[in-house]
Amino acid sequence: MVALTENVALATSPAATRRAPSRLGDRIFRAAALGSALLVLVVLAGILAAIAYGGWPAFQTFGPGFLTSSAWNVGREEYGALVAIIGTLVSAVLALVIGVPISLGIAIYLTQLCPGWARRPVAMTIELLAAVPSIIYGMWGLFVFAPLFARFVQVPVSNLVEGMPIVGTLLYAQVPSGVGVLTAGIILAIMIVPFVASITRDMLDQIPTVLRESAYGIGCTTWEVVRHVLVPQASVSIIGAIMLGLGRALGETMAVTFVIGNANRLSASIFDPGSTIASRIANEFNEADGMQLNALMALGCILFVITFIVLIVARLLVRRAKVA
Amino acid sequence: MSATATVAPTPGASRADETAPVRIAVKNLNFFYDNGFQGLKNINLNFHDRQVTALIGPSGCGKSTLLRTFNRIYSVYPGQRAEGEILLDGRNILDPSIDLNELRARVGMVFQKPTPFPMSIYDNVAFGIRLYERLGKADLDARVEEALRKSALWDEVKDKLRQSGMGLSGGQQQRLCIARTVAQRPEVILFDEPTSALDPISTGRIEELIEQLRSEFTIAIVTHNMQQAARISQFTAFMYLGELIEFGQTTRMFMNPAKQQTQDYITGRFG
Repeated sequence: MVALTENVALATSPAATRRAPSRLGDRIFRAAALGSALLVLVVLAGILAAIAYGGWPAFQTFGPGFLTSSAWNVGREEYGALVAIIGTLVSAVLALVIGVPISLGIAIYLTQLCPGWARRPVAMTIELLAAVPSIIYGMWGLFVFAPLFARFVQVPVSNLVEGMPIVGTLLYAQVPSGVGVLTAGIILAIMIVPFVASITRDMLDQIPTVLRESAYGIGCTTWEVVRHVLVPQASVSIIGAIMLGLGRALGETMAVTFVIGNANRLSASIFDPGSTIASRIANEFNEADGMQLNALMALGCILFVITFIVLIVARLLVRRAKVA
Repeated sequence: MSATATVAPTPGASRADETAPVRIAVKNLNFFYDNGFQGLKNINLNFHDRQVTALIGPSGCGKSTLLRTFNRIYSVYPGQRAEGEILLDGRNILDPSIDLNELRARVGMVFQKPTPFPMSIYDNVAFGIRLYERLGKADLDARVEEALRKSALWDEVKDKLRQSGMGLSGGQQQRLCIARTVAQRPEVILFDEPTSALDPISTGRIEELIEQLRSEFTIAIVTHNMQQAARISQFTAFMYLGELIEFGQTTRMFMNPAKQQTQDYITGRFG
């Protein structure tokens, strides 16, 4: 009897383990993954819609002139985005002009020239820069860097170039206070260096050793190896890294608000105060209502569009570089 | 039938010329890696002009290490050092006063994997020439064509010289790298397992090419493939654990090795 039940048990147990796998878990998993993906889209669309809706009255009132007007007068309800747009672009471009060569230098030093024992400490220090909160950069920029910058750069340079054509306007500080568009560009450069440098370093590290050796093998100097072989080989990723840095520079708010001077004035001099879209919003949002609020929302929209364009251009550049 | 016969040189393989002048003379060469490991132990060896010398031996035996001392490519890595003498046309290239870039133009190298530079086919070849010589466009064009012809690549690429070198097949890329080396008109060409990443047909073409290049250059080749060594070389050096075990004419080395270790290796008993 016992033997019989045992036989039955043996006969049925394999069948029990061979049941069709439950499809339910798979379905839940799919739905959850899809939901996460959709959530991002919904949130993005929601934010875009809300900002566009908020900014609509400003676009309607001022028309295309909103983009080309440099007015920003709360009392007379006149608003234009030009100063902020130019400030945003100029400070970001300055950040790239200053930051990218330094980043490339760091990456090349770390991967090609640095003695082994110093690599990790130097790399760590640079990555620590990325961990500094932007408010700290802002404070340091305003209280420490700006006064020194005014005393040792703005004043002497202004004295030197005064009266000269072009540089005489470009690098002349009417009030050498230390804050201004160039100061913002420098602070932004410090902030994007760790990103651009560490991505570039990773990419240079991934280049196969034989490629590097064969460049040395035909008699290249280190400079020639880097200039003609390694950097072109990694160019796609370097462009990507630069665009990431540009994206960050365009949207950075706190540090820039501290050091850019927040003036609504179009000036040809990069020593003069200006403002960016993000700094203007941060400065005025607290007390804004009515049309001022609408104008700030519209500024937000424009910033969105600018960063979006940067993203598209980056994609196109990367694609073109890959094809070539 | 003895096992040695299966890897005997093909009847067409050219005879070694022992009277050919010595191009590279290695004397009491020792090599140390940065961790203190001694990669080469007291190597003495001559490379004859316009002969192919194959370096064979199991992995880690030092054959690549030896090859890499001839253009001092090892010095890209700080901490690696060679002691002794390597005389290239009578001059010691281990001397600190030697200009490395000039040395590497005289001693070209082709690597395990094809390494086209990220530039056009034309520029890949012209790049090495431009480093050392200022040539007009016509002269440069002629040199590029000459190098590509010598590398048996000209007919395949002559209509797409402006295209990227990365778009070629593996075998073509490797011949492009050979063209790049040849274009500099070196005296010696070092091949470090040049066919290890290639298919048999591409391998065959590279081997033919090496045979042709021998008329102009002194060639040293590291290979894992004993049939390849037998097919293309006139001299063979067998190395083991950083030491040179035996050196001689390829025919003799494969038919009648003097040392038991050599015999064991070429018959496939170890390695």
